Amino acid sequence: MTDDIMQQRRTILKGAISASTLALVAASGLVLPRQLLAHWPKNAFNAETVEDALLALLGEADIAEDSALNFKVGSPPSYAINGASVPIQVQSELNNIERIAILVEKNPFPLAMSLESTPAMLLPFKSMIKIREDSPVIAIIRAEGKLYKTSRFVEVDIGGCG
Amino acid sequence: MGLPRKDRIRAKLKADNTTVRVLLSHPMHTGRAKNEAEELIPAEFIQDIRCWRNDEEVLTIKCGTATARNPYFSFQLVGGEQGDEITIRWVDNLGAKGTAETVVK
Repeated sequence: MTDDIMQQRRTILKGAISASTLALVAASGLVLPRQLLAHWPKNAFNAETVEDALLALLGEADIAEDSALNFKVGSPPSYAINGASVPIQVQSELNNIERIAILVEKNPFPLAMSLESTPAMLLPFKSMIKIREDSPVIAIIRAEGKLYKTSRFVEVDIGGCG
Repeated sequence: MGLPRKDRIRAKLKADNTTVRVLLSHPMHTGRAKNEAEELIPAEFIQDIRCWRNDEEVLTIKCGTATARNPYFSFQLVGGEQGDEITIRWVDNLGAKGTAETVVK
């Protein structure tokens, strides 16, 4: 009778030990690459609507349009022959820019890029993005704690989100 | 992965500020496109790009899949002088890394 209980106790102990060893191994080796990439804001980039992406990235989604930003998309502006490579340019007179985000409303995942800048950086910022179909493209800047937003509607001839 | 890639970077002094232009060599697969055999090409895209000027980190760019193939970036840095070292490092979602560096002209 007591032998039986002891036997059970042993099995349970064994199980507990191997489980904790596994946890240790996972914590030390396997999880590490994930931790290194943890600063990539996954929730924001995997969000499927502009609102969700902004909530995940900035904590708020309700931003008024502002003329303080000069935002150009496409070449000529507001038009792109090939959606796989659309030039964008963000220009502004704002100082102390902390963050810039570019979103394409109708892309499967709207957030295209997010910049964390320092006072050493100046605009204009230029880059190339992919746009799946005719869609508003949104630029958001956080400067001195305030958010500024502007959007441009872009026509795309060949969608570029393949 | 691990093969040398041709990442290009140029930095030039223009009206007291430094203009940096970067052209990375990367396929930026979104994970939604198909190859000729109608199979999905797995996602492979740059997630994180960091820029330093002489040991001072000046800019971080996080990219989603909507950044175009062979990503191009251009931006300005306050001040600077000829001979400043500009360094770019990037990491993609599969852990591949790259660096590019140049000297301000």
